[in-house]
Amino acid sequence: MSYTLRGRVESRLAALLPVVAAACALTAILHRWWPVEAAGLMVGLGVALDAQAYHRLLAYQPGWTALPLGAIELAALLLLMRVLGVSAPLWQPLALFAAGWLLAQVLGQVCFPLLRLGYAEEGGELGRLGGVAALAVGLALAGAGATAYALRPPVVRLGAGVYRGPLVITRREVLIGEPGAVVRGGLVIRADDVKVENLAVDGGENGITVDGVHGTVLEGVSVSGAKLDGIHVVFAGVVIKNCTVDMQGSPLGEGINISYNMGMGMSMVEGCTVVGGMQGITTHSSMTDIVRDRVSGTQQQGIAVTEMSMGTVMDSEVTGALGIGIYCNDRSTCMIEHNTVVGTRSDSASGNATRAGYGVLSSFQSLAELRGNQIASNPVPMGAVINSEIAATH
Amino acid sequence: MSVAIVGSGLAGFTAFQTLRRGGLAPDEIAVFGPLDDPAGAFRRRAAAIRQSEMRSESDGHCLATSFPGLALRSALRRRSPAPLLASVLDRYHPTVEEFLSHVERVRQRSGWERSLRSGRIERVRAVDGGFELDGHGVFRHVLLAPGQPGLNLPEELRSDPRAVHAYEPHAYARRVTIVGAGLAAATEWLNALDAGAEVVSTRRREPRRQPLNVPRDYFSRRGLSTFHRLGAGERAARLRALLAPSFPRGPAWDRPLERAAAEGRFRVGPVLDGSEQVICATGFLRGFDHDPMLARLVGEHGLETADAWIVLAPDTSVPALSDATRTIALAGAPAQWAFPAADTLAGARYAAHGFLRRIRACRTH
Repeated sequence: MSYTLRGRVESRLAALLPVVAAACALTAILHRWWPVEAAGLMVGLGVALDAQAYHRLLAYQPGWTALPLGAIELAALLLLMRVLGVSAPLWQPLALFAAGWLLAQVLGQVCFPLLRLGYAEEGGELGRLGGVAALAVGLALAGAGATAYALRPPVVRLGAGVYRGPLVITRREVLIGEPGAVVRGGLVIRADDVKVENLAVDGGENGITVDGVHGTVLEGVSVSGAKLDGIHVVFAGVVIKNCTVDMQGSPLGEGINISYNMGMGMSMVEGCTVVGGMQGITTHSSMTDIVRDRVSGTQQQGIAVTEMSMGTVMDSEVTGALGIGIYCNDRSTCMIEHNTVVGTRSDSASGNATRAGYGVLSSFQSLAELRGNQIASNPVPMGAVINSEIAATH
Repeated sequence: MSVAIVGSGLAGFTAFQTLRRGGLAPDEIAVFGPLDDPAGAFRRRAAAIRQSEMRSESDGHCLATSFPGLALRSALRRRSPAPLLASVLDRYHPTVEEFLSHVERVRQRSGWERSLRSGRIERVRAVDGGFELDGHGVFRHVLLAPGQPGLNLPEELRSDPRAVHAYEPHAYARRVTIVGAGLAAATEWLNALDAGAEVVSTRRREPRRQPLNVPRDYFSRRGLSTFHRLGAGERAARLRALLAPSFPRGPAWDRPLERAAAEGRFRVGPVLDGSEQVICATGFLRGFDHDPMLARLVGEHGLETADAWIVLAPDTSVPALSDATRTIALAGAPAQWAFPAADTLAGARYAAHGFLRRIRACRTH
């Protein structure tokens, strides 16, 4: 078909209208914004491609081009979502896009020509229906945006000073620590979609506890003096970025411990520095990406992915761990890429042969895939024990 | 009754289907024409040139909407997705047989016979409240779909006993000259070669190779909006260029010709001497003045013309005689001023859609 520019845009918006409606419904059901954000991106991306690329390049658009153009739009959509930080399990936006694409084909090939006699000869223009569709899409997205604005969480700022904890957050909010603000006695998060920024936490059983909630973001927090774990996450989805955890006074605690959140999507620990403690960063039965972190001076493993966890350890630095630098254990699957593991010490006092100072160890029916790691000055660079595998490529 | 279609060929038939789809009953439409069978003229011409496949694609049918096309019907009948796949790739061309049976099916179920009034309209006259059709009464909305005005036989060959028009029944002699460069000529090259003849192709210009009669963007508003903005002289020149002879690309055409050329049985040349038969694949007479009804309409009403065409509005109506209360519009080849591919089935549908829109918009309909 030879579309006019107006025909392209009207046909696209009319085809996307059910998708936008479904996305709004999904957002209401899931209490997640990604469906509306993804649908908005689909609209924006599609209209931009129509105006800037397709109209100029495709004077006539054969039916078969729907497939490659759909693939290009899907790739661009996923890229945009990543760049703009729209996070969702991959299959969900894929399913939304695929449903929208299929619907667009059915509408464009079957329904629009039946509804409007001159659809083909008018270059895909839909007359009043096109205007109504464009208006409806605009209103739906604007409504969603207004709702998001109205529902944005309250922002609480803690000014410089010491606040007695434990501080318990029981509602959705953004908590921002001004320079010099310290919560002494721990922070407990008990509500979904809480974001904590730039806050220092000192002491407490755990420095920060995140238990049974969704959508927690900890950004730029610093934790010190915790008795057990620096950051303790259990049954919760979390993104931790650019944190500092000082566990030097707590030889039995773990810097960051993420446990039992397998059904809650990927968690992320990125750009954190952990010093001391028994283990630096550890995951149990969870899916977590550990990226660009620095762990040093732990009393046991630097980073441990264990208890049927799945995860990536990437671009991180583990220095001076005792026994094992990076540990993939207990039926876990680990991608270990581009890390530096140096100066791991042998834990001969434990009498445990698996703690002989491995840079990387895969243990108990686990699979570790290694690529591009720098493993130096460790008594044993790497190994696999108890029915485990280690696959190294360069 | 307020609506009439003058012409009972494929363009008139397509318009009838569109009006039926638009909600008009057969009793509200009068179709004037000499033929019961809307595909009669096409059938004879296709048989004459032994055409087996349509040049049109899936939407080359007589219904009001492009969907469902003939590819879907063929896929359902054959229980195979192959026609649909071919259609997606712009490689589906219905067979002539499929198209003719489609016309027959549609004719039987659409009430065509109830609307058909046998006889040829010689004169159309604008009167108060509509148009008077040769003593058959006054109709508020009239679509003229008179068909092709006649076969075009080059002047210099009219008295040549060897000459036959491609669209007239004929066999093939041993040495044949085929005049023309369009789809009919290309079909005849292959026919004559198949029959064992030596073929000389005589043509004034090299044929354009394109899938449809005109470039695809001229089938939609995308190409048409620019075309409609051209001045009369420019538009006539553009039309002449667009309507130059052409036939599709593809090995089905090229390979037999290359093979025959290598064997010395096919060549391009200007000379008719030595040919036992001259087949004129030179299409149809072009221009309103070859059609007595249209010539009289123009003459009696002083209609604006350009080159060989009656000047039409983009929806194929005649601006000087159409207003909010009445319409006279053209379909088929005479409507090329508004839609360059008006002589195709898609063109017939375009004219029919415009006609229906005007009827719907008419305050007194």
